[in-house]
Amino acid sequence: MSEEKKNLNPQVASPVSSSDNIGKGKRHMGLKAKTIAGNTIIYVILVAMTVIWLFPFVCILFQSFEVDHTNMTGNILPVKWGFDNYIRLFTSTDFETGGFGRWYVNTLVISLATAVIQTIIVLCMSYTLSRLRFKGRKFLMNFMLVLGMFPGMLTMIILYRVLADLNLIKQNAIPGLILVYVASSGMGYYVSKGFFDTVPKSLDEAARVDGATRAQVLIKVILPLSKPIVIYTLLTAFMGPWGDFVFASYIAFSTSAGMNVAVGLQSLIATPSAMSANYTMFCAGGVLVAIPITVLFLFLQKYYVEGVTGGAVKG
Amino acid sequence: MASVKLTEVKKVYQGNVVAVHNFNLDIKDKEFIVFVGPSGCGKSTTLRMIAGLEEISEGTVEIDGEVVNDLQPKDRYVSMVFQNYALYPHLTVFENMAFPLRLDRNYRVFPLNEKEREAIQKKIDSGKLNEKQLEEAKEALEKGKRVRGFPQEEIYKRVTNAAEILGITPYLTRKPKALSGGQRQRVAIGRAMVKDCKVFLMDEPLSNLDAKLRNQMRAEIILLRKRIDTTFIYVTHDQTEAMTLGDRIVIMKDGFIMQVGSPTQVFDSPNNLFVAEFIGAPKMNIVSSQLVKEGNKYFVTPFGSKIEVDGDKGAKLLEKGIETRDILLGFRPEHAVLASKPGPNTIKVTLLVNEMMGSELHLHLLTDDNTQLIVRVPTIQLTDKEREEMVAGKELYITFEGKVMHFFDPETEISLLCEENSPSKQNIEALKEAAQVK
Repeated sequence: MSEEKKNLNPQVASPVSSSDNIGKGKRHMGLKAKTIAGNTIIYVILVAMTVIWLFPFVCILFQSFEVDHTNMTGNILPVKWGFDNYIRLFTSTDFETGGFGRWYVNTLVISLATAVIQTIIVLCMSYTLSRLRFKGRKFLMNFMLVLGMFPGMLTMIILYRVLADLNLIKQNAIPGLILVYVASSGMGYYVSKGFFDTVPKSLDEAARVDGATRAQVLIKVILPLSKPIVIYTLLTAFMGPWGDFVFASYIAFSTSAGMNVAVGLQSLIATPSAMSANYTMFCAGGVLVAIPITVLFLFLQKYYVEGVTGGAVKG
Repeated sequence: MASVKLTEVKKVYQGNVVAVHNFNLDIKDKEFIVFVGPSGCGKSTTLRMIAGLEEISEGTVEIDGEVVNDLQPKDRYVSMVFQNYALYPHLTVFENMAFPLRLDRNYRVFPLNEKEREAIQKKIDSGKLNEKQLEEAKEALEKGKRVRGFPQEEIYKRVTNAAEILGITPYLTRKPKALSGGQRQRVAIGRAMVKDCKVFLMDEPLSNLDAKLRNQMRAEIILLRKRIDTTFIYVTHDQTEAMTLGDRIVIMKDGFIMQVGSPTQVFDSPNNLFVAEFIGAPKMNIVSSQLVKEGNKYFVTPFGSKIEVDGDKGAKLLEKGIETRDILLGFRPEHAVLASKPGPNTIKVTLLVNEMMGSELHLHLLTDDNTQLIVRVPTIQLTDKEREEMVAGKELYITFEGKVMHFFDPETEISLLCEENSPSKQNIEALKEAAQVK
């Protein structure tokens, strides 16, 4: 098209316009076509991956609106739409002491307590390792790094024994779980320490000369400058207990009083008969569990990304 | 306002690296002291030990007669300005400057404003107060209120006042990142100014500024000093700053004090070769020579010439009973003059480079035995033709006056005129020993 236009006005042709033509024409079109073809392939693959990845979530979402809960025929779309499952979750008398509402509150209490305590511990730990120089600091850091390489599962049996002796299982599982989640949180100092290391030390020194104690330096100077990492720490600390099943099922069993949502929902579909009876309700529970995390991420995504990359790259 | 006393202060870092050796210094109340020296000489470390940011390995630091070795920085009542400004990026300029005031939790008495006065008077008149409350109310009316920390209006007053002095009032609501280097440094100085401090510490505050701004800020610091009128300790590596600002200068090298004295003292009578070369720009010319005693007169013989030592220097040499000996002879570039023709007291040199500085020429010269010398010649002393002729390769004759010479021992590098018991003499010997051990 542009070639034709230029030919129509031969008097405009000049050395400049002819040099403009370099790289245009056939070769250029080929490049464009190539780019389009390449992008198409990439997008097709990405869309396919997205569909595969989203499929279970979409299924769960649709199933949660299925009114005919005894029908497990494998339809993706509900035969009959409605909010029955959600209502049943909170009103059903099938499960003891409070049911889903109770589990939800339990999980919220556990997660919030863990998030707050763990964040405080992690930030204090990171500040200490970033700013103070004491004997054994390097050793401590390496030791924790190695210790972190062992899977937490290894400690399950002994932790169960300890918690059982302290009577922090079954109906008393909430403080027990908080204790376990918080216990080793100091070891997660890497990312925030990396971030603190990028805050100039002279700011600490200026604040200390200005009259601040070490704690005030952390609260008034370092933390306001490290918002992304504080939010990242809070989020990760909240998410861990929120979706935990393995450890929670080990400590909180047999009674709804101590269960979190993951364990509680699993108890809904523990037997084949229960599975067929409660499957759609289970899906509704799953959707409700996903809501707070999704909302948190939507609002804090910016900080979360800054936190992850900030700590990693600059550290 | 306070005196500062450092006694045998030593700083040893991990791995037995000694940054500061036996530092002894008495800083008088309201004195402006400058620590100067090349990088790594321990000047900043010493300042940081006074501030409490660095642990003191040995010795004691006293502020206002109180040993502060084990006190936290906040309890030492010092203010500090940092080289990189160290402003809090998340706070506005106002909040940056108010920061130390907001942290202060000491009790102070502030005068009452009209409203408060009325309120207390009303309480007294109401007759509802018991005896103790009545007494307190009366005392408050008389002396003012006793408050923990600074009340809001006092913070506002102090910050706006400091901002006014430093000319940063229009920027009070900005964040530090929206300020230029010079403005940032003003905010840093303002932050140090607003709080009640005994000693004002400055760690190379002008190093991050460009040359022009540095000159301007230097003049402002002199004015500021007159206004604040407290004890200043200023660290710099720039000898010009040291000379222009300090009441006394402490020149350091490798953790040792080389000389302490007023700018005139260290310039006119350097105790040793290091100080002689460090102070003054361009640096002092140092040449090997002989000091010859003839009767009661002394002569130096650089490059085959013979120049008489006159003035006080000759008398001092005689007083010390110094005989004919080898020396290192020092003379400053500005004290040498161009001679129109060769004579017994002139040195023949070849011009290497001619640096035109505006008001003066810096001539880099080469003697016959390949020693480089620098001579400063005021432009005004030369005719246009003479200036044009100053090109590389030109042969010149220079001489210098006998009263401005400096004599150093070639081995110890100590000035022949240095006092026998001078602490800096001992330090120089200790420095030599330390260097030999290395």
